[in-house]
Amino acid sequence: MSLRLNRAVEQIAMNTAEKAFPEEGCGLLIGPVPDGFDVMGRAVEVDEARPLPNGWDASAKTNRYLIDPKIMARVEAELSGTGRGVVGFFHSHPQVPAWPSPFDLMMAMPCCSYWIIQVRDGKAVDSRAWQRTEDGRSFVEEEIFLGGYI
Amino acid sequence: MSIEIRLPTALRAFADKQERISVDAKDVGDALERLFIRHERLRQQLMAPDGKLRLFVNIYVNDDDARDRQGLSTPIKDGDTILIVPAIAGGSTVAEQGLTKAELVRYDRHLIMPEVGPEGQKKLKNASVLCVGAGGLGSPLALYLAAAGVGRIGIIDFDVVDESNLQRQIIHDTASIGTSKLASAKKRLLALNPYISVETHEARLTSANAVELFKKYDVIADGTDNFATRYLVNDACVLTGRPNAYGSIFRFEGQLAVFGLKDGPCYRCLYPEPPPPGLVPSCSEAGVLGVLPGVIGTMQAIEALKLILGIGRPLSGRLMLYDALEQSWRTLNVKKKPACPVCSENPTIKAPIDYEAFCGLKEKPMSTIPEISVQDLKAKLDKKEIFVLVDVREPHEYEIAKIAGSTLIPLGKLPERFAELDKSAKLIVHCKMGGRSAKAVQLLREKGYDATNVTGGITAWSEQIDPSVPQY
Repeated sequence: MSLRLNRAVEQIAMNTAEKAFPEEGCGLLIGPVPDGFDVMGRAVEVDEARPLPNGWDASAKTNRYLIDPKIMARVEAELSGTGRGVVGFFHSHPQVPAWPSPFDLMMAMPCCSYWIIQVRDGKAVDSRAWQRTEDGRSFVEEEIFLGGYI
Repeated sequence: MSIEIRLPTALRAFADKQERISVDAKDVGDALERLFIRHERLRQQLMAPDGKLRLFVNIYVNDDDARDRQGLSTPIKDGDTILIVPAIAGGSTVAEQGLTKAELVRYDRHLIMPEVGPEGQKKLKNASVLCVGAGGLGSPLALYLAAAGVGRIGIIDFDVVDESNLQRQIIHDTASIGTSKLASAKKRLLALNPYISVETHEARLTSANAVELFKKYDVIADGTDNFATRYLVNDACVLTGRPNAYGSIFRFEGQLAVFGLKDGPCYRCLYPEPPPPGLVPSCSEAGVLGVLPGVIGTMQAIEALKLILGIGRPLSGRLMLYDALEQSWRTLNVKKKPACPVCSENPTIKAPIDYEAFCGLKEKPMSTIPEISVQDLKAKLDKKEIFVLVDVREPHEYEIAKIAGSTLIPLGKLPERFAELDKSAKLIVHCKMGGRSAKAVQLLREKGYDATNVTGGITAWSEQIDPSVPQY
């Protein structure tokens, strides 16, 4: 199971995460919608990272993020019929490790990759990717491949 | 009335990859129900067990949020579009934990230093350190980390407290002899600082569990006493990007360094290969000054705190050597090796390997060399058989206890002292427990000597033949 990224995607996501510090940064991961998207362990290729503002209210942005559903709807409409889609999301965990929290799990969509970036003192120090199981009870870590597409 | 439901990318896999699905329905709830009849797996994704929409599901009728209208009862008419949009949200487990009043009091001497201060203390509280081993080094290390307020301390060990540990392993006490080291350490740490959490991992660190375990901690502190685990800790630290506050001790000397920082060297840059097995005796064989791990383990705690706080200059790219007899510290520069098999840009080791084999521990020459028991040895001595009894321990061990008539040649000196031994003689070799002498016997047999090992060494001799010989 894997999340495949290129350097540009990585750079954009890392920069977003570092710039947002001490708040959480977030955005969409866009790429071709794979066959068997719902299969645990499928590979997802991301060719675009699209940073978005953290829509959570100011009081809790250091440990919460929200992507405005209106923006989400607009991007889905934009990609409609192209074979590409929103195949995952990235967000940062300021200071704490890149493991999904119970809240991450409660709010997670199936199929997609959830790429979490740990930012410590303004620097991205670790990142991990996760896919939610269909029953919504847990996340399974997936490998991150950086570089060209296979 | 035909209306169109549009699914987001994430949910299309549950509806035969369709993006738009037309249904006839009178309201939103009805439309969803008809959708679920066709694509049952969608129900679990969109609806909570109580029949309400899941938190992260937004429904728009044309451009209006259904919640602002009548929710699932919002009426729909021919030509309307229902848009299902996930509200993408999440976040870290807890906000960085602040300091409680009691903690402000406890950590006062940290808080008044600007280099630490409340911000630094919060970093400590939100940080985690894994101590590999709850022995000589792990004792002061874990105690000081706990006292300093490191919020989450992990310890991995599988041993029980032995009376001979207490000469240096000050996290345990006399009452804990025979109990698990982890239980004893955890009790002591929480008694010292109840505001932290202590996670115990009762296991041997192996190639199979190291990477997953290390991922859960910010800093790893290696307090192990053997090369196989030391190389494993090093490799797993590099593979997971975790810094290693390393310490080791031997008799009166200690080593200290930080390995595995991005621009710094790792243990393999310093020592690419382990020494041949048996040549470097362990603490149980060679001894260690009881205070020595107190010095080195405490220094490891300092390096761990510096790494967490981001202050000072980490001991990376430098190896410090401590000599207790000289009471001196020496610092050697260590460079990152461009061809390091683990931490270079093109590593050849991408996952933990078999360290027992790497360190030569899997060859078991003992099984292929001739051995005799201490009873056999006693019988041969009583019968006045002719042979040379060779003791391969260190001189100071020889002073504590010896078998009368033996010749002392420490294992490390054996290669240069072969000439002292008569090739035509029958050699019987012993050490403390039988390990070093097995190596010696193998070396000797390779050189053409007729050598035999004494199983159990002088310890077995003392236990089974002559209790007047002291055990140590």
